[in-house]
Parts: sequence; C-alpha cells; structure tokens
Amino acid sequence: MTDLDKKLPKAPRNETPTDVRFVRVPSIVERKLGADYVAPMRLDPRVLDQMQTTIKGLETRYGDALRAQVQTLLALVEPACGGDTEVRGRLYAIVHDMRGLAGTFGHPMVGRFANSLCNYIESAGTTAWSDDTIFHFHLDAIREALESPSADPAITLETLNALQKLIAASAAERRRLG
Amino acid sequence: MMPVPTKADAAFFRKLTVLVVDDSPEMRRLLAALLESMGVEHVIEARDGLKGLDAFIEHKPDIIITDGAMQPMDGYEMTQRVRAAGAAEGANPDVPILMISGHIGRESVAHARDQGVTDYLPKPLSASVLYEAIVAAVSKPIHFIEKPGYRGPSPTRRLTARSADDSAA
Repeated sequence: MTDLDKKLPKAPRNETPTDVRFVRVPSIVERKLGADYVAPMRLDPRVLDQMQTTIKGLETRYGDALRAQVQTLLALVEPACGGDTEVRGRLYAIVHDMRGLAGTFGHPMVGRFANSLCNYIESAGTTAWSDDTIFHFHLDAIREALESPSADPAITLETLNALQKLIAASAAERRRLG
Repeated sequence: MMPVPTKADAAFFRKLTVLVVDDSPEMRRLLAALLESMGVEHVIEARDGLKGLDAFIEHKPDIIITDGAMQPMDGYEMTQRVRAAGAAEGANPDVPILMISGHIGRESVAHARDQGVTDYLPKPLSASVLYEAIVAAVSKPIHFIEKPGYRGPSPTRRLTARSADDSAA
C-alpha cells in the first residue's frame, strides 16, 4: 500500500473500492481565468475594508428594524402562548432572524439572548408555549441590551445565565409532570 | 521574473454570479450588500431551497451561499439535489456551496458535509469570514469523489464551522 492509498478515504463496507472514483474538478478561478490565473489567490485588504464599511452603513437601519421587531414580539407573545400556531411561527421566525443577524450588526448580546430563546423553543416544543414567563424575561433582556449597548458585559452575562437557569428549571418541571 | 499571484479583488469578483438562498429578507439584504461591495455584479436571491434549485438551473451560478433551515425545502436537501443534478442544462453541479447557519454543533456540520456542502460558516457572520471562505471556495482545486448515488466533496473529510479566529483579519 502506498502513502497515497493510506490517505484516500475508505469506501463504506457495502461498496467495493471500484465503485468509488476520485475526480479533480477545475476551481472556479481556473474556469474563469484559465491560464491567466496564478496561484495562490491573494486576499485584497481593500475588499475587506469595503465590506466592513458596508456593514457599518447598514447598522443604523438594522438597529431601527431590531427595535420594531422587539415591539412586534411583545405583541405576539400573548396570542402565541394563547394557542395561535400561526403567530408562534411568526414569533419564532423573528427571534431566529435576530439570532443570526444581531451579532453581525454590533449587538452580540441581543443575538445571544435570541439564541437562548430559540434554543428554548426548539427543545421544549409545544410545551414552550404553555407559559409566557420565559418569553417575557427574554424580551426584556433583549430590549435592555438594545437600549444599553455599553452596559457592563458581566451584568449582561449574568442575565443570560439567569435565563439559562430559568429554562433548566422549566425543563425539570416538565419532566416532573411527565 | 516570478509571476504575481492573482488578487481576489473587485475586478475578479465582477466575473462571478452568486446565488444567495435564505428565508430571511434581512439576511439576503446583508449578503447581497456584502457581495456587491466585493465587486460581484450578479447576485441572484432565492427564499428557500426549492426556489434556489430553480435559480441554480436558470442562472448557473459560480458559487451558492445558503441558509440551513428553510421551508419547504432546506439548504441540506437543496445541496444534495444540486450535487445529484448532473450538468443540468449547463449548470455546474460541482459548484462550491457555502452554508451559513446558527447551528454549529458537530451533528449539523456533519450533516451538511454529508450532503456535499463545501464550507460551513457560523452566524453571526463577519465580513472577514465570508470573504476568506469565498476566496478559498473559488480558488482551491476541487477534489470530489464519485460513487453510486453521490458525487461531491468527500463525506469522510474533516469539516468544522469556520470561526472568526480562523480569520487573519
């Protein structure tokens, strides 16, 4: 067996090695530039600067959108916990969006609180909606983080830990009730 | 004289067509704006995997950037279908596919890898992580395996979610 043979991935047991073929496909740069391409491709700091400027430019607009989303969420909690499944879907979609975007636009703690609430909804399933307390605590934390972005990170992390404990206690209670 | 390596600059990115598949309008807006600031002139947007497949056939993108969880078709199934498409009407089934997801656990990344995802980027997204992932995806030679029912990046390769720490910038 050669060194190359040792490095190649093994075929699953139900396949014979002849079922597997290794193919080298030209990279996109090779396809686009052909012989003009000289590897390795170099990063251009100007491009990255431009991208970061773009994010900065979008931050203000996103901050406004985030504030509007928090107001919408506050209005959705009651009908969602009251049993409206369509509203539950809308509420989750907004929080999921926050989880993915807030950190990019300079609101990392908003993103982490949203992540905590998303994880709760995903893990608790339909029972998540039987009590609005966890939703309200998360939304209060999100609103606070949004309005005071320069708040002491230690305090904000403490809030996050408290929310985690609240979720754990809720999960334990659900298990106890079967 | 030594030849100068090619620069990943706006002049190069102008040649690319990029398909963005995400159910969040805000995320699509962010990605489109970032790609345009890189120099990409052809950004195609789709709001779920099914629409993404249509756009893949119609626009023959050079790279796909997709979300994971979407309805009715998610980014994992779309990736698997792109890889299985063959050269459908000139579209490139070997196209690099970058998945951006908030789920960075080992299971999610392994699932993405098994469907043929090229690289896995965590949310929240940073400019440097996106830029470096795109440059790596378009410039590295693509080594695929072909076996009954699967053609794509080796499912036994190591793939972890990129992090901001991976980035030099």
